[in-house]
Amino acid sequence: MTEAVVTMDLHPQPASGQAKPWAFPAPERGTLGNGLTVLRCHRPGQQVVAVEICLDTPLDAEPAGLDGIATIMVRALSQGTSSHTAEEFAAELERCGATLNAHADYPGARVSLEVPVSRLSRALTLLAGALDTPTFSGSEVERLVRNRLDGIRLELANPGQRAVKQLSQELFPASARMSRPRQGTEDTVRRIDAAGVRAFYAAHVGPATATAVVVGDLTGIDLDAVLADTLGGWTGDTTGPRPMPPVTADDTGRVVIVDRPGAVQTQLLIGRIGPDQHDQVWPALMLGTYCLGGTLTSRLDRVLREEKGYTYGVRAFEQVLRSPAPDAAGGVTGASLLAISGSVDTASTGPALGDLWTVLRTLAADGLTESERDLAVQNLVGVAPLEFETAASVADTLADQVELHLPDDYQAQLYARLAQTGTAEATAAVVAAFPVNRLVTILVGDAAEIEAAVQDLGLGEITVVTG
Amino acid sequence: MGHTAAQQARSGGLTATEHQLDNGLRLVLSEDHLTPVAAVCLWYDVGSRYEIKGRTGLAHLFEHLMFEGSAQVKGNGHFELVQGAGGSLNGTTSFERTNYFEIMPAHQLELALWLEADRMGSLLAALDEESMENQRDVVKNERRQRYDNVPYGTAFERLTALAYPEGHPYHHIPIGSMADLDAATLDDARAFFRTNYAPNNAVLAVVGDIDPEQTRRWVEKYFGSIPPYAGKVPPRDGTLPDIIGTELREEIQGEVPARALMAAYRLPHDGTRESDAAEVALTVLGDGMSSRLYNRLVRRDRTAVSAGFGLLRLAGAPSLGWLDVKTSGDAEIPQIEAAVDEELARLGAAAPSAAEMERAQALLEREWLDRLGTVAGRADELCRYAVLFGDPQLAFTAVNRILDITAEEVRAVAAARLRPDNRAVLVYEPLPPAETAGEAGGQASAGESDEQDGAGR
Repeated sequence: MTEAVVTMDLHPQPASGQAKPWAFPAPERGTLGNGLTVLRCHRPGQQVVAVEICLDTPLDAEPAGLDGIATIMVRALSQGTSSHTAEEFAAELERCGATLNAHADYPGARVSLEVPVSRLSRALTLLAGALDTPTFSGSEVERLVRNRLDGIRLELANPGQRAVKQLSQELFPASARMSRPRQGTEDTVRRIDAAGVRAFYAAHVGPATATAVVVGDLTGIDLDAVLADTLGGWTGDTTGPRPMPPVTADDTGRVVIVDRPGAVQTQLLIGRIGPDQHDQVWPALMLGTYCLGGTLTSRLDRVLREEKGYTYGVRAFEQVLRSPAPDAAGGVTGASLLAISGSVDTASTGPALGDLWTVLRTLAADGLTESERDLAVQNLVGVAPLEFETAASVADTLADQVELHLPDDYQAQLYARLAQTGTAEATAAVVAAFPVNRLVTILVGDAAEIEAAVQDLGLGEITVVTG
Repeated sequence: MGHTAAQQARSGGLTATEHQLDNGLRLVLSEDHLTPVAAVCLWYDVGSRYEIKGRTGLAHLFEHLMFEGSAQVKGNGHFELVQGAGGSLNGTTSFERTNYFEIMPAHQLELALWLEADRMGSLLAALDEESMENQRDVVKNERRQRYDNVPYGTAFERLTALAYPEGHPYHHIPIGSMADLDAATLDDARAFFRTNYAPNNAVLAVVGDIDPEQTRRWVEKYFGSIPPYAGKVPPRDGTLPDIIGTELREEIQGEVPARALMAAYRLPHDGTRESDAAEVALTVLGDGMSSRLYNRLVRRDRTAVSAGFGLLRLAGAPSLGWLDVKTSGDAEIPQIEAAVDEELARLGAAAPSAAEMERAQALLEREWLDRLGTVAGRADELCRYAVLFGDPQLAFTAVNRILDITAEEVRAVAAARLRPDNRAVLVYEPLPPAETAGEAGGQASAGESDEQDGAGR
């Protein structure tokens, strides 16, 4: 090429300036008269306040055969109270400019409120009503059940969600709650009714076992008074057991193809289980997993996307499933899902899996480089001020810490621990996390097109399922 | 307006200053020292509406090539340097613009400016066949992942093609067709860059914990020598009559899990008072958990699992009001369609109540609080108003314009626009259980943007 392509003055890459101090905020911890634990955190400028309510209702507490009842219960909290019908409640809340979300997960359930600070008190009054005096009318519970059944149908058609369901079923024994979807299956959701929801609520929801996290610009707000007038009036005891069975998983290397004739891509989900955040290895695992598949320039995408063009992106991640306190009864420990996920075009399925395994083998053989580890630390530590710019992101992490039985300064300390973690530790952690012969591979795709190529890779026994 | 929280939105002290370099680059600066981060947002005034027949998808494919290196940045260096500095980044392409952004720890701001300038001024030094071929494959896989391999995934594409006639610049969506992605050449990409990636075709916003004087000096230093380009052709005219005049309709039998009714209504151009009225109308009808459609279809009739309206704001063509209803159980489309039509007619006949207006305006105000509440959101909005309307300050007053809309204006726009003869309709009917074929196709998002890297989400 003879044409002048650079017509500007080039300057050398600038050096960075002086980093400004930033720390993950330390919440102030207190307890209301009704036993509700409160974590509060003032974030100047954050006009939208985030409130997280953590309910101590682990999915293991759901009655046998009623998987999904925790989800229906937390959603039903806002579908009618002693003061408002379901429609009125939603309208009142939205007149505050507020949003309310509720979901149930393995460690517990969460109700999340976000509202402009000027209407915090109004919105908290509504939230307190939802927690304290939910109606759980037969009609509303029935509606939520039907809505969930419709949702299941929609979700299973999505290849990513279908893969998650299959992986849970493969990894965990059928007796384990973790083997089944968080929001239940068609069979279990169908059995849920208002009486069951009321009983589950009565047994498991009350202020003494719950925590409220309040984060935002609280300037000029007498939060103690506001809380006393709202969440402070929530009453009720809980008596239900919170079982904590040990987590076991079968990570024998194998492949399950969920057949989708005609699919133009294959959804990959490759995983097994690992430790929880209480384990000392956690920072090293985070670093190593980032180097493997945290971003577009990590090892997996460097090959699968940026060299081969097989995919829009493949990610490796660790997701905590349950993380009991270190002194939990029976010495039960928690677990995380360690996984690689993404989608590749159908014709490239075999080659992409082959390359993926080569990346894992190379990593095991040669380890991470110092510069990879350095980049990972600089990113994971450096992005903290960005990641926690909003009140909602801070509240979410504080609530996670509560649910996962971590100390209030866990996130703050994590950055120092990441910075102290060396290349050898990060290598050891990620290699132990993704051993090439102990991975369960779920492929949602066209079995007729991909099975032979996958067979040739020797990833273990292949099973084809439908549905 | 005593019922609003707008005092905060307005008295938040948000201000911005505007500057222009000799080469035409417009610069918008907004200081905010609450947290030590800075957002760099660069909008190029080019999107898929500039593409010509046979080359759909080029603007978005080109956006990917912007991350493949420039004179002083090797390979994926742009990603590596930003992420290694503790920053995050992405690029997105829509009908009307292409944006690039870096959110940085404040002390790494200069690096982001250097990186953006290097690729604006010297991309062609690094652009080669290898990256073209590679990113062509990546984008085709993006298309498969986001559109072709998810249920209802091509709804947005189909409805857009119905709502804007053949030959209209908005007839095709930014992802483009597989055939056109295959046909794009390296020369197309080079020409696209020369024509559109010039400083006089861009707005740069820098927002956050910045020193404005220092930032201006850096911008002058890194961008100042990049030559302007005078040969850009204006986009094809996107104006259309206010009303389509007849209902356009497509019915699909496909491998979808549930019946669905989707529609796109032709609405006023962004930037007009009527478009703000339309947004309030759509919110009354279909945003949140207590909108008219949600209450009617999901709560009372129980014929739908979800029902809502969204607004795709467009400045260079009519905006689109986006209806998406997924049926519940065995409910059928005609009963849902009749209920929707009844609700639209009711809003056209009588203004919404004060309580409904309060709800809709509070929700929209909240959206603005969220959008302006982060440095990246603020930078993006400043660029948007600068590129599309010539005045970044409009970003700070947008919420006031929404709150100024009256119930009667809402009724009027509903009567004029939310009518059966002004919509494109797409109906999905699942195949009987035994058959398999056709569209596997996910989420019918009115996703206007195609991203450089969406895998992390």
